Amino acid sequence: MNVEVSSPAEPTTTRRKSVSVPHKVRKVFGRRVFAKPGLATAILLLTPSLILIGTVIACPIVLGLQYSVSTGSLIKQGGFVGLANYAKLLQSPTFYNSLEFSVGFAIANIAGCYTLGLGLALLMQKRIPGQGIFRVLLLLPWIVPSLVGVVSWRWLVGDEAAFVNRIIKWAGGNPIFFLSNSGWAILIVILIKIWRSFPFMMLSLLAALQSIDRTLYEAASIDGATPRQMFRYITLPQIRNISIILCLMMIIWSVNDFDTPWLLAQGGPANATQNLVILAYRYTFERNDVGMGAATSFVTLFGLMALVSVVLRLQRKR
Amino acid sequence: MRIPGSRSKLWLTVVLGLIVVVLNFPVIYMTLNSFQTTPEMLASRSVFPEHYSLSNYVFLISKTPFLSYVWNSAITALGATVLSVFAGLLAGYALSRFSHFLMGMYSNLLFAIQMFPIILALVPLFILFRPLGLINNPLSVIIVYSLINLPFITWMSRSYFDTIPRELEEAALIDGCSPIRAFVQVIVPLTGPGVAAVSIFAFLFSYNEFFIANVFLRTQNAMTIPVGIQLFIQQFSTDWGSLLAAATLAMLPTLLLFLFIQKFIVHGALTGSVKG
Repeated sequence: MNVEVSSPAEPTTTRRKSVSVPHKVRKVFGRRVFAKPGLATAILLLTPSLILIGTVIACPIVLGLQYSVSTGSLIKQGGFVGLANYAKLLQSPTFYNSLEFSVGFAIANIAGCYTLGLGLALLMQKRIPGQGIFRVLLLLPWIVPSLVGVVSWRWLVGDEAAFVNRIIKWAGGNPIFFLSNSGWAILIVILIKIWRSFPFMMLSLLAALQSIDRTLYEAASIDGATPRQMFRYITLPQIRNISIILCLMMIIWSVNDFDTPWLLAQGGPANATQNLVILAYRYTFERNDVGMGAATSFVTLFGLMALVSVVLRLQRKR
Repeated sequence: MRIPGSRSKLWLTVVLGLIVVVLNFPVIYMTLNSFQTTPEMLASRSVFPEHYSLSNYVFLISKTPFLSYVWNSAITALGATVLSVFAGLLAGYALSRFSHFLMGMYSNLLFAIQMFPIILALVPLFILFRPLGLINNPLSVIIVYSLINLPFITWMSRSYFDTIPRELEEAALIDGCSPIRAFVQVIVPLTGPGVAAVSIFAFLFSYNEFFIANVFLRTQNAMTIPVGIQLFIQQFSTDWGSLLAAATLAMLPTLLLFLFIQKFIVHGALTGSVKG
Protein backbone atom coordinates (compact mmCIF):
# COMPACT_ATOMS: atom_id res chain seq x y z
CA MET A 1 0.00 0.00 0.00
CA ASN A 2 2.65 2.43 1.09
CA VAL A 3 4.52 1.98 -2.12
CA GLU A 4 1.73 3.26 -4.33
CA VAL A 5 0.78 6.11 -2.05
CA SER A 6 4.33 7.40 -1.86
CA SER A 7 4.58 7.69 -5.63
CA PRO A 8 2.08 10.33 -6.62
CA ALA A 9 3.90 11.21 -9.79
CA GLU A 10 2.71 8.00 -11.43
CA PRO A 11 0.46 8.31 -14.45
CA THR A 12 -3.23 8.28 -13.57
CA THR A 13 -3.97 5.00 -15.29
CA THR A 14 -1.68 3.00 -13.01
CA ARG A 15 -3.03 4.78 -9.95
CA ARG A 16 -6.56 3.76 -10.76
CA LYS A 17 -5.51 0.22 -11.32
CA SER A 18 -3.78 -0.14 -7.98
CA VAL A 19 -4.50 1.49 -4.66
CA SER A 20 -7.36 3.80 -5.24
CA VAL A 21 -9.86 1.14 -6.16
CA PRO A 22 -11.67 1.25 -2.81
CA HIS A 23 -11.14 5.01 -2.82
CA LYS A 24 -12.70 5.33 -6.24
CA VAL A 25 -15.72 3.21 -5.34
CA ARG A 26 -16.39 5.41 -2.37
CA LYS A 27 -15.96 8.46 -4.54
CA VAL A 28 -18.45 7.18 -7.08
CA PHE A 29 -20.86 6.25 -4.31
CA GLY A 30 -20.46 9.67 -2.77
CA ARG A 31 -21.07 11.43 -6.07
CA ARG A 32 -24.06 9.36 -6.95
CA VAL A 33 -25.70 9.97 -3.59
CA PHE A 34 -25.02 13.62 -3.86
CA ALA A 35 -26.15 14.05 -7.45
CA LYS A 36 -29.55 12.40 -6.94
CA PRO A 37 -31.97 13.51 -4.20
CA GLY A 38 -30.39 10.81 -2.05
CA LEU A 39 -33.59 9.54 -0.53
CA ALA A 40 -31.83 6.48 0.88
CA THR A 41 -29.39 8.60 2.89
CA ALA A 42 -32.21 10.86 4.04
CA ILE A 43 -34.25 7.92 5.30
CA LEU A 44 -31.17 6.52 7.02
CA LEU A 45 -30.77 9.86 8.80
CA LEU A 46 -34.44 9.82 9.80
CA THR A 47 -34.34 6.26 11.16
CA PRO A 48 -33.66 7.08 14.85
CA SER A 49 -36.47 9.64 14.84
CA LEU A 50 -38.85 7.28 13.09
CA ILE A 51 -38.11 4.53 15.64
CA LEU A 52 -38.91 6.98 18.46
CA ILE A 53 -42.13 8.09 16.78
CA GLY A 54 -43.11 4.48 16.20
CA THR A 55 -42.51 3.52 19.83
CA VAL A 56 -44.04 6.50 21.56
CA ILE A 57 -46.80 7.60 19.15
CA ALA A 58 -47.75 5.12 16.44
CA CYS A 59 -47.78 1.92 18.47
CA PRO A 60 -49.65 3.46 21.45
CA ILE A 61 -52.30 4.94 19.13
CA VAL A 62 -53.08 1.52 17.70
CA LEU A 63 -53.06 -0.14 21.14
CA GLY A 64 -55.06 2.72 22.67
CA LEU A 65 -57.73 2.44 20.01
CA GLN A 66 -58.00 -1.23 20.90
CA TYR A 67 -58.18 -0.48 24.65
CA SER A 68 -60.87 2.12 24.10
CA VAL A 69 -63.23 -0.53 22.70
CA SER A 70 -62.61 -3.11 25.43
CA THR A 71 -62.95 -3.44 29.18
CA GLY A 72 -59.97 -4.15 31.34
CA SER A 73 -57.56 -2.84 33.93
CA LEU A 74 -53.89 -1.92 33.94
CA ILE A 75 -53.03 -5.52 34.84
CA LYS A 76 -55.13 -7.49 32.38
CA GLN A 77 -57.07 -6.69 29.29
CA GLY A 78 -60.78 -7.48 29.11
CA GLY A 79 -63.12 -8.35 26.27
CA PHE A 80 -64.37 -6.36 23.33
CA VAL A 81 -67.32 -4.09 24.16
CA GLY A 82 -67.67 -2.06 20.98
CA LEU A 83 -68.39 1.60 21.52
CA ALA A 84 -69.81 1.06 25.02
CA ASN A 85 -67.01 3.08 26.67
CA TYR A 86 -67.63 6.03 24.36
CA ALA A 87 -71.38 5.82 24.95
CA LYS A 88 -70.89 5.69 28.72
CA LEU A 89 -68.52 8.64 28.55
CA LEU A 90 -70.85 10.77 26.44
CA GLN A 91 -73.67 10.12 28.90
CA SER A 92 -71.76 10.99 32.05
CA PRO A 93 -72.15 14.49 33.54
CA THR A 94 -68.50 14.37 34.72
CA PHE A 95 -67.40 14.32 31.11
CA TYR A 96 -69.42 17.44 30.26
CA ASN A 97 -68.11 19.23 33.35
CA SER A 98 -64.55 18.42 32.28
CA LEU A 99 -65.25 19.42 28.70
CA GLU A 100 -66.73 22.72 29.83
CA PHE A 101 -63.75 23.44 32.03
CA SER A 102 -61.26 22.49 29.28
CA VAL A 103 -62.96 24.81 26.77
CA GLY A 104 -63.35 27.70 29.20
CA PHE A 105 -59.79 27.29 30.44
CA ALA A 106 -58.42 27.36 26.87
CA ILE A 107 -60.47 30.41 25.81
CA ALA A 108 -59.68 32.39 28.97
CA ASN A 109 -56.00 31.52 28.67
CA ILE A 110 -55.87 32.59 25.03
CA ALA A 111 -57.63 35.88 25.74
CA GLY A 112 -55.36 36.61 28.70
CA CYS A 113 -51.99 35.57 27.37
CA TYR A 114 -52.53 37.04 23.91
CA THR A 115 -53.48 40.44 25.30
CA LEU A 116 -50.65 40.46 27.82
CA GLY A 117 -48.17 39.04 25.32
CA LEU A 118 -49.04 41.51 22.56
CA GLY A 119 -49.00 44.45 24.98
CA LEU A 120 -45.57 43.51 26.29
CA ALA A 121 -44.26 42.78 22.79
CA LEU A 122 -45.35 46.25 21.62
CA LEU A 123 -43.67 47.77 24.68
CA MET A 124 -40.51 45.74 24.06
CA GLN A 125 -40.32 47.01 20.50
CA LYS A 126 -39.59 50.52 21.72
CA ARG A 127 -35.93 51.16 22.38
CA ILE A 128 -35.76 51.21 26.14
CA PRO A 129 -32.52 51.17 28.16
CA GLY A 130 -31.96 47.79 29.80
CA GLN A 131 -34.34 46.15 27.36
CA GLY A 132 -32.32 42.94 27.09
CA ILE A 133 -32.43 42.35 30.84
CA PHE A 134 -36.16 43.04 30.98
CA ARG A 135 -36.79 40.59 28.18
CA VAL A 136 -34.86 37.85 29.95
CA LEU A 137 -36.60 38.53 33.26
CA LEU A 138 -40.02 38.44 31.62
CA LEU A 139 -39.32 34.92 30.37
CA LEU A 140 -38.91 33.60 33.91
CA PRO A 141 -42.50 32.41 34.47
CA TRP A 142 -42.21 30.38 31.29
CA ILE A 143 -38.87 28.69 31.97
CA VAL A 144 -39.22 27.75 35.64
CA PRO A 145 -40.50 24.19 36.13
CA SER A 146 -44.32 24.00 36.23
CA LEU A 147 -44.12 22.67 39.76
CA VAL A 148 -42.08 25.65 40.97
CA GLY A 149 -44.50 28.10 39.37
CA VAL A 150 -47.57 26.49 40.91
CA VAL A 151 -45.93 26.13 44.33
CA SER A 152 -45.06 29.82 44.34
CA TRP A 153 -48.69 30.69 43.56
CA ARG A 154 -49.98 28.32 46.23
CA TRP A 155 -47.78 30.07 48.76
CA LEU A 156 -49.27 33.37 47.61
CA VAL A 157 -52.97 32.40 47.84
CA GLY A 158 -52.96 28.98 49.53
CA ASP A 159 -54.50 29.55 52.95
CA GLU A 160 -56.24 32.00 55.25
CA ALA A 161 -53.05 33.80 56.25
CA ALA A 162 -51.50 33.85 52.77
CA PHE A 163 -50.02 37.06 51.33
CA VAL A 164 -53.04 37.93 49.18
CA ASN A 165 -55.41 37.37 52.10
CA ARG A 166 -53.29 39.63 54.28
CA ILE A 167 -53.71 42.37 51.70
CA ILE A 168 -57.46 41.74 51.55
CA LYS A 169 -57.66 41.94 55.35
CA TRP A 170 -55.55 45.08 55.38
CA ALA A 171 -57.99 46.61 52.89
CA GLY A 172 -60.83 45.66 55.19
CA GLY A 173 -62.18 42.54 53.47
CA ASN A 174 -62.67 38.97 54.66
CA PRO A 175 -60.07 36.36 53.75
CA ILE A 176 -60.97 34.20 50.76
CA PHE A 177 -60.35 30.45 50.62
CA PHE A 178 -59.09 30.50 47.07
CA LEU A 179 -58.39 26.79 46.74
CA SER A 180 -61.52 25.41 48.41
CA ASN A 181 -64.07 27.54 46.58
CA SER A 182 -64.83 26.33 43.03
CA GLY A 183 -65.18 29.73 41.41
CA TRP A 184 -62.03 31.14 42.95
CA ALA A 185 -60.02 27.99 42.21
CA ILE A 186 -61.01 28.21 38.53
CA LEU A 187 -59.95 31.85 38.43
CA ILE A 188 -56.60 31.11 40.08
CA VAL A 189 -55.81 28.17 37.81
CA ILE A 190 -56.56 30.37 34.77
CA LEU A 191 -54.37 33.15 36.13
CA ILE A 192 -51.49 30.72 36.69
CA LYS A 193 -51.87 29.35 33.17
CA ILE A 194 -51.85 32.87 31.68
CA TRP A 195 -48.82 33.66 33.82
CA ARG A 196 -47.01 30.57 32.57
CA SER A 197 -47.87 31.09 28.88
CA PHE A 198 -47.62 34.84 28.22
CA PRO A 199 -43.79 34.85 27.78
CA PHE A 200 -44.00 32.47 24.83
CA MET A 201 -46.71 34.65 23.26
CA MET A 202 -44.63 37.76 23.89
CA LEU A 203 -41.50 36.27 22.29
CA SER A 204 -43.29 34.95 19.23
CA LEU A 205 -45.27 38.15 18.70
CA LEU A 206 -42.12 40.21 19.18
CA ALA A 207 -40.44 38.18 16.46
CA ALA A 208 -43.49 38.71 14.22
CA LEU A 209 -43.53 42.46 14.91
CA GLN A 210 -39.85 42.78 14.10
CA SER A 211 -40.31 41.06 10.77
CA ILE A 212 -42.85 43.67 9.56
CA ASP A 213 -41.44 45.80 6.75
CA ARG A 214 -40.47 49.23 8.19
CA THR A 215 -41.26 51.01 4.93
CA LEU A 216 -44.98 50.35 5.48
CA TYR A 217 -44.89 52.57 8.54
CA GLU A 218 -42.79 55.20 6.79
CA ALA A 219 -45.24 55.36 3.92
CA ALA A 220 -48.18 55.57 6.33
CA SER A 221 -46.62 58.37 8.35
CA ILE A 222 -45.93 60.35 5.16
CA ASP A 223 -49.62 59.94 4.34
CA GLY A 224 -50.41 61.33 7.77
CA ALA A 225 -51.66 58.21 9.55
CA THR A 226 -52.00 58.32 13.34
CA PRO A 227 -50.24 55.68 15.48
CA ARG A 228 -53.63 54.10 16.19
CA GLN A 229 -54.43 53.85 12.47
CA MET A 230 -51.01 52.34 11.81
CA PHE A 231 -51.63 49.72 14.50
CA ARG A 232 -55.10 48.95 13.12
CA TYR A 233 -54.25 48.90 9.42
CA ILE A 234 -50.61 47.78 9.34
CA THR A 235 -49.58 45.95 12.51
CA LEU A 236 -52.70 43.84 13.08
CA PRO A 237 -53.07 42.58 9.47
CA GLN A 238 -49.34 41.85 9.31
CA ILE A 239 -49.35 39.66 12.42
CA ARG A 240 -52.75 38.09 11.71
CA ASN A 241 -51.54 34.77 10.32
CA ILE A 242 -48.92 34.12 12.96
CA SER A 243 -51.48 35.10 15.61
CA ILE A 244 -53.95 32.51 14.37
CA ILE A 245 -51.29 29.79 14.47
CA LEU A 246 -50.09 30.90 17.92
CA CYS A 247 -53.63 30.92 19.30
CA LEU A 248 -54.30 27.51 17.84
CA MET A 249 -51.13 26.12 19.44
CA MET A 250 -51.97 27.78 22.73
CA ILE A 251 -55.50 26.31 22.74
CA ILE A 252 -54.11 22.85 22.11
CA TRP A 253 -51.49 23.22 24.84
CA SER A 254 -54.12 24.47 27.28
CA VAL A 255 -56.41 21.53 26.57
CA ASN A 256 -53.47 19.14 26.98
CA ASP A 257 -52.25 20.80 30.17
CA PHE A 258 -52.15 18.49 33.14
CA ASP A 259 -49.60 20.19 35.38
CA THR A 260 -51.34 23.48 36.23
CA PRO A 261 -54.77 22.24 37.38
CA TRP A 262 -53.37 19.06 38.92
CA LEU A 263 -50.62 20.68 40.94
CA LEU A 264 -52.88 23.49 42.12
CA ALA A 265 -55.73 21.43 43.53
CA GLN A 266 -55.66 17.91 41.98
CA GLY A 267 -58.54 18.95 39.74
CA GLY A 268 -60.60 20.00 42.77
CA PRO A 269 -62.38 21.41 44.67
CA ALA A 270 -65.32 19.13 43.80
CA ASN A 271 -63.79 18.47 40.34
CA ALA A 272 -64.21 22.14 39.40
CA THR A 273 -60.76 22.31 37.76
CA GLN A 274 -60.75 18.77 36.34
CA ASN A 275 -60.03 18.96 32.62
CA LEU A 276 -60.26 16.12 30.09
CA VAL A 277 -56.63 15.07 30.62
CA ILE A 278 -57.09 14.81 34.38
CA LEU A 279 -60.32 12.88 33.78
CA ALA A 280 -58.49 10.40 31.53
CA TYR A 281 -55.67 10.14 34.09
CA ARG A 282 -58.18 9.49 36.89
CA TYR A 283 -60.04 6.82 34.92
CA THR A 284 -56.80 5.02 34.10
CA PHE A 285 -54.57 5.35 37.12
CA GLU A 286 -57.01 5.92 39.99
CA ARG A 287 -60.08 3.88 38.97
CA ASN A 288 -58.03 1.37 36.99
CA ASP A 289 -60.51 1.56 34.08
CA VAL A 290 -58.23 1.57 31.04
CA GLY A 291 -61.11 1.42 28.54
CA MET A 292 -62.68 4.63 29.80
CA GLY A 293 -59.29 6.32 30.12
CA ALA A 294 -58.39 5.50 26.52
CA ALA A 295 -61.84 6.54 25.29
CA THR A 296 -61.53 9.91 27.06
CA SER A 297 -58.10 10.50 25.51
CA PHE A 298 -59.41 9.70 22.05
CA VAL A 299 -62.38 12.02 22.43
CA THR A 300 -59.88 14.76 23.38
CA LEU A 301 -57.76 13.98 20.31
CA PHE A 302 -60.78 13.96 17.97
CA GLY A 303 -61.98 17.26 19.41
CA LEU A 304 -58.57 18.88 18.87
CA MET A 305 -58.29 17.50 15.35
CA ALA A 306 -61.72 18.89 14.46
CA LEU A 307 -60.72 22.27 15.88
CA VAL A 308 -57.44 22.36 13.93
CA SER A 309 -59.08 21.45 10.62
CA VAL A 310 -61.86 24.03 11.06
CA VAL A 311 -59.44 26.83 11.99
CA LEU A 312 -57.03 26.05 9.17
CA ARG A 313 -59.88 25.87 6.66
CA LEU A 314 -61.29 29.22 7.81
CA GLN A 315 -57.84 30.75 7.62
CA ARG A 316 -57.33 29.53 4.06
CA LYS A 317 -60.75 30.80 2.95
CA ARG A 318 -60.20 34.39 4.04
CA MET B 1 -31.16 62.25 19.81
CA ARG B 2 -31.29 61.97 23.58
CA ILE B 3 -33.05 65.25 24.21
CA PRO B 4 -36.61 64.71 22.96
CA GLY B 5 -37.21 61.11 23.99
CA SER B 6 -35.11 60.67 27.12
CA ARG B 7 -37.82 61.60 29.57
CA SER B 8 -40.48 59.34 28.12
CA LYS B 9 -37.87 56.60 27.86
CA LEU B 10 -37.02 56.88 31.54
CA TRP B 11 -40.71 56.71 32.30
CA LEU B 12 -41.09 53.61 30.11
CA THR B 13 -38.15 51.95 31.86
CA VAL B 14 -39.78 52.52 35.25
CA VAL B 15 -43.09 51.11 34.01
CA LEU B 16 -41.42 48.08 32.50
CA GLY B 17 -39.39 47.53 35.66
CA LEU B 18 -42.57 47.56 37.72
CA ILE B 19 -44.25 45.12 35.34
CA VAL B 20 -41.27 42.78 35.62
CA VAL B 21 -41.38 42.87 39.43
CA VAL B 22 -45.15 42.32 39.57
CA LEU B 23 -45.09 39.45 37.08
CA ASN B 24 -42.19 37.74 38.84
CA PHE B 25 -43.54 38.44 42.29
CA PRO B 26 -44.70 34.84 43.07
CA VAL B 27 -41.20 33.48 42.42
CA ILE B 28 -39.42 36.33 44.23
CA TYR B 29 -41.72 36.02 47.25
CA MET B 30 -41.25 32.26 47.41
CA THR B 31 -37.45 32.51 47.20
CA LEU B 32 -37.16 35.17 49.91
CA ASN B 33 -39.56 33.34 52.23
CA SER B 34 -37.68 30.07 51.95
CA PHE B 35 -34.75 31.59 53.85
CA GLN B 36 -36.39 31.56 57.29
CA THR B 37 -37.40 28.94 59.83
CA THR B 38 -40.72 27.24 59.13
CA PRO B 39 -42.61 28.62 62.19
CA GLU B 40 -41.44 32.13 61.41
CA MET B 41 -42.37 31.70 57.75
CA LEU B 42 -45.90 30.62 58.63
CA ALA B 43 -46.33 33.38 61.19
CA SER B 44 -44.98 36.42 59.40
CA ARG B 45 -45.70 36.05 55.64
CA SER B 46 -44.00 39.36 54.95
CA VAL B 47 -42.01 39.74 51.75
CA PHE B 48 -38.63 40.17 53.45
CA PRO B 49 -37.84 37.77 56.33
CA GLU B 50 -36.89 39.31 59.66
CA HIS B 51 -34.20 36.73 60.36
CA TYR B 52 -32.57 34.88 57.52
CA SER B 53 -31.98 31.18 58.14
CA LEU B 54 -30.91 28.14 56.15
CA SER B 55 -32.74 25.69 58.41
CA ASN B 56 -35.17 24.58 55.69
CA TYR B 57 -32.31 23.82 53.32
CA VAL B 58 -30.40 21.89 55.98
CA PHE B 59 -33.49 19.85 56.79
CA LEU B 60 -34.22 19.27 53.10
CA ILE B 61 -30.76 17.93 52.31
CA SER B 62 -30.20 15.88 55.48
CA LYS B 63 -33.67 14.53 56.32
CA THR B 64 -35.48 14.11 53.00
CA PRO B 65 -34.57 12.10 49.87
CA PHE B 66 -34.04 15.35 47.94
CA LEU B 67 -30.53 14.44 46.79
CA SER B 68 -31.78 11.19 45.34
CA TYR B 69 -34.38 13.18 43.37
CA VAL B 70 -31.57 15.39 42.07
CA TRP B 71 -29.60 12.35 40.96
CA ASN B 72 -32.63 10.84 39.19
CA SER B 73 -33.38 14.14 37.50
CA ALA B 74 -29.80 14.41 36.28
CA ILE B 75 -29.88 10.89 34.81
CA THR B 76 -33.21 11.27 33.05
CA ALA B 77 -32.52 14.75 31.73
CA LEU B 78 -29.04 13.79 30.47
CA GLY B 79 -30.29 10.56 28.91
CA ALA B 80 -33.16 12.31 27.18
CA THR B 81 -30.82 15.05 25.95
CA VAL B 82 -28.35 12.61 24.41
CA LEU B 83 -31.02 10.49 22.74
CA SER B 84 -33.14 13.35 21.43
CA VAL B 85 -30.22 15.46 20.20
CA PHE B 86 -28.78 12.43 18.41
CA ALA B 87 -32.06 11.69 16.62
CA GLY B 88 -32.97 15.34 16.09
CA LEU B 89 -29.60 16.39 14.64
CA LEU B 90 -29.68 13.63 12.04
CA ALA B 91 -33.27 14.42 11.12
CA GLY B 92 -32.58 18.16 11.00
CA TYR B 93 -29.69 17.53 8.63
CA ALA B 94 -31.89 15.38 6.40
CA LEU B 95 -34.56 18.10 6.30
CA SER B 96 -31.98 20.75 5.53
CA ARG B 97 -30.14 18.96 2.72
CA PHE B 98 -32.63 16.73 0.93
CA SER B 99 -35.77 18.00 -0.72
CA HIS B 100 -38.44 15.43 -1.42
CA PHE B 101 -42.17 15.44 -0.76
CA LEU B 102 -41.59 12.84 1.96
CA MET B 103 -39.49 15.39 3.83
CA GLY B 104 -42.40 17.83 3.73
CA MET B 105 -44.67 15.13 5.09
CA TYR B 106 -42.20 14.40 7.86
CA SER B 107 -42.14 18.07 8.78
CA ASN B 108 -45.94 18.10 9.05
CA LEU B 109 -45.79 14.96 11.16
CA LEU B 110 -43.49 16.74 13.61
CA PHE B 111 -45.96 19.59 13.82
CA ALA B 112 -48.75 17.15 14.62
CA ILE B 113 -46.59 15.49 17.28
CA GLN B 114 -46.06 18.79 19.01
CA MET B 115 -49.81 19.14 19.43
CA PHE B 116 -50.46 15.52 20.33
CA PRO B 117 -52.25 14.91 23.67
CA ILE B 118 -49.54 12.85 25.34
CA ILE B 119 -52.01 11.27 27.80
CA LEU B 120 -53.22 9.25 24.82
CA ALA B 121 -49.81 7.59 24.53
CA LEU B 122 -49.19 7.27 28.26
CA VAL B 123 -52.02 4.82 28.93
CA PRO B 124 -50.87 2.18 26.39
CA LEU B 125 -47.19 2.86 27.13
CA PHE B 126 -47.75 2.18 30.83
CA ILE B 127 -49.25 -1.22 29.96
CA LEU B 128 -46.47 -1.91 27.43
CA PHE B 129 -43.65 -0.87 29.75
CA ARG B 130 -44.85 -2.73 32.83
CA PRO B 131 -43.92 -6.28 31.72
CA LEU B 132 -40.58 -4.94 30.44
CA GLY B 133 -39.73 -3.65 33.92
CA LEU B 134 -39.59 -0.07 32.71
CA ILE B 135 -41.96 1.38 35.33
CA ASN B 136 -39.89 3.19 37.99
CA ASN B 137 -37.00 2.99 35.54
CA PRO B 138 -35.50 6.20 34.10
CA LEU B 139 -35.43 4.61 30.65
CA SER B 140 -39.21 4.85 30.21
CA VAL B 141 -39.18 8.58 30.91
CA ILE B 142 -36.07 9.10 28.76
CA ILE B 143 -37.78 7.52 25.74
CA VAL B 144 -40.93 9.61 26.06
CA TYR B 145 -39.02 12.86 26.70
CA SER B 146 -36.86 12.25 23.64
CA LEU B 147 -39.95 12.04 21.48
CA ILE B 148 -41.39 15.20 22.98
CA ASN B 149 -38.13 17.08 22.44
CA LEU B 150 -37.79 15.80 18.89
CA PRO B 151 -39.84 18.43 16.97
CA PHE B 152 -38.11 21.54 18.26
CA ILE B 153 -34.64 19.97 18.17
CA THR B 154 -35.21 18.94 14.57
CA TRP B 155 -36.45 22.40 13.57
CA MET B 156 -33.73 24.26 15.40
CA SER B 157 -30.89 22.10 14.12
CA ARG B 158 -32.35 22.31 10.64
CA SER B 159 -32.18 26.08 10.80
CA TYR B 160 -28.52 25.88 11.89
CA PHE B 161 -27.65 23.47 9.08
CA ASP B 162 -29.36 25.82 6.62
CA THR B 163 -26.77 28.48 7.49
CA ILE B 164 -23.84 26.20 6.60
CA PRO B 165 -22.97 26.36 2.91
CA ARG B 166 -23.44 23.19 0.92
CA GLU B 167 -20.11 23.75 -0.82
CA LEU B 168 -18.32 22.40 2.26
CA GLU B 169 -19.90 18.98 1.91
CA GLU B 170 -19.56 19.05 -1.84
CA ALA B 171 -15.83 19.55 -1.38
CA ALA B 172 -15.68 16.71 1.13
CA LEU B 173 -17.66 14.41 -1.17
CA ILE B 174 -15.43 15.20 -4.12
CA ASP B 175 -12.44 14.38 -1.96
CA GLY B 176 -13.94 10.95 -1.47
CA CYS B 177 -15.79 11.29 1.80
CA SER B 178 -18.99 9.32 2.36
CA PRO B 179 -22.08 11.47 3.04
CA ILE B 180 -22.27 10.22 6.64
CA ARG B 181 -18.59 10.98 7.24
CA ALA B 182 -18.96 14.40 5.66
CA PHE B 183 -21.77 15.07 8.11
CA VAL B 184 -19.92 13.84 11.19
CA GLN B 185 -16.47 15.29 10.42
CA VAL B 186 -17.26 18.45 8.47
CA ILE B 187 -20.72 19.69 9.37
CA VAL B 188 -21.22 18.75 13.02
CA PRO B 189 -18.01 20.45 14.25
CA LEU B 190 -19.21 23.66 12.57
CA THR B 191 -22.52 23.60 14.41
CA GLY B 192 -20.88 23.55 17.85
CA PRO B 193 -22.68 26.51 19.47
CA GLY B 194 -25.96 25.54 17.85
CA VAL B 195 -25.72 21.97 19.08
CA ALA B 196 -24.85 23.23 22.55
CA ALA B 197 -27.90 25.51 22.64
CA VAL B 198 -30.20 22.78 21.35
CA SER B 199 -28.84 20.36 23.96
CA ILE B 200 -29.42 22.83 26.77
CA PHE B 201 -32.99 23.30 25.55
CA ALA B 202 -33.57 19.57 25.54
CA PHE B 203 -32.06 19.30 29.01
CA LEU B 204 -34.24 22.11 30.36
CA PHE B 205 -37.47 20.67 29.00
CA SER B 206 -36.68 17.23 30.39
CA TYR B 207 -35.54 18.58 33.74
CA ASN B 208 -38.69 20.70 34.18
CA GLU B 209 -41.20 18.04 33.14
CA PHE B 210 -43.73 16.77 35.67
CA PHE B 211 -46.65 14.88 34.09
CA ILE B 212 -44.84 11.99 32.37
CA ALA B 213 -42.45 11.46 35.27
CA ASN B 214 -45.46 11.41 37.59
CA VAL B 215 -47.01 8.56 35.57
CA PHE B 216 -43.94 6.36 35.21
CA LEU B 217 -41.89 7.03 38.34
CA ARG B 218 -44.03 5.91 41.25
CA THR B 219 -41.61 4.82 44.00
CA GLN B 220 -39.70 7.35 46.02
CA ASN B 221 -36.23 6.23 44.99
CA ALA B 222 -37.09 6.51 41.29
CA MET B 223 -38.65 9.98 41.43
CA THR B 224 -37.28 13.08 39.71
CA ILE B 225 -37.28 16.48 41.44
CA PRO B 226 -40.76 17.73 40.38
CA VAL B 227 -42.45 14.44 41.28
CA GLY B 228 -40.60 14.16 44.57
CA ILE B 229 -41.29 17.72 45.62
CA GLN B 230 -44.98 17.19 44.98
CA LEU B 231 -45.00 14.74 47.92
CA PHE B 232 -44.48 17.68 50.28
CA ILE B 233 -47.88 18.99 49.14
CA GLN B 234 -49.86 15.80 49.13
CA GLN B 235 -49.45 14.90 52.77
CA PHE B 236 -52.18 15.95 55.20
CA SER B 237 -50.57 19.22 56.04
CA THR B 238 -48.23 20.78 53.54
CA ASP B 239 -44.62 20.97 54.73
CA TRP B 240 -44.19 24.57 53.57
CA GLY B 241 -40.61 24.93 54.78
CA SER B 242 -39.24 22.01 52.78
CA LEU B 243 -41.57 22.76 49.87
CA LEU B 244 -40.38 26.33 49.36
CA ALA B 245 -36.73 25.42 49.87
CA ALA B 246 -36.98 22.50 47.45
CA ALA B 247 -38.80 24.58 44.82
CA THR B 248 -36.18 27.31 45.10
CA LEU B 249 -33.33 24.82 44.71
CA ALA B 250 -35.11 23.09 41.82
CA MET B 251 -35.28 26.41 39.99
CA LEU B 252 -31.54 27.04 40.26
CA PRO B 253 -30.22 24.79 37.44
CA THR B 254 -32.98 26.07 35.16
CA LEU B 255 -32.00 29.68 35.74
CA LEU B 256 -28.27 29.04 35.29
CA LEU B 257 -28.72 27.12 32.05
CA PHE B 258 -31.24 29.66 30.83
CA LEU B 259 -28.67 32.44 31.13
CA PHE B 260 -26.47 30.56 28.65
CA ILE B 261 -29.14 30.13 26.02
CA GLN B 262 -31.33 33.21 26.34
CA LYS B 263 -29.72 34.68 23.21
CA PHE B 264 -30.82 31.69 21.18
CA ILE B 265 -34.38 31.74 22.43
CA VAL B 266 -35.63 34.62 20.31
CA HIS B 267 -34.02 33.07 17.26
CA GLY B 268 -35.51 29.66 18.13
CA ALA B 269 -39.00 31.05 18.65
CA LEU B 270 -38.82 32.83 15.31
CA THR B 271 -37.58 29.92 13.22
CA GLY B 272 -39.82 27.48 15.07
CA SER B 273 -42.96 29.35 14.20
CA VAL B 274 -41.95 30.11 10.63
CA LYS B 275 -40.82 26.61 9.79
CA GLY B 276 -43.84 24.95 11.37
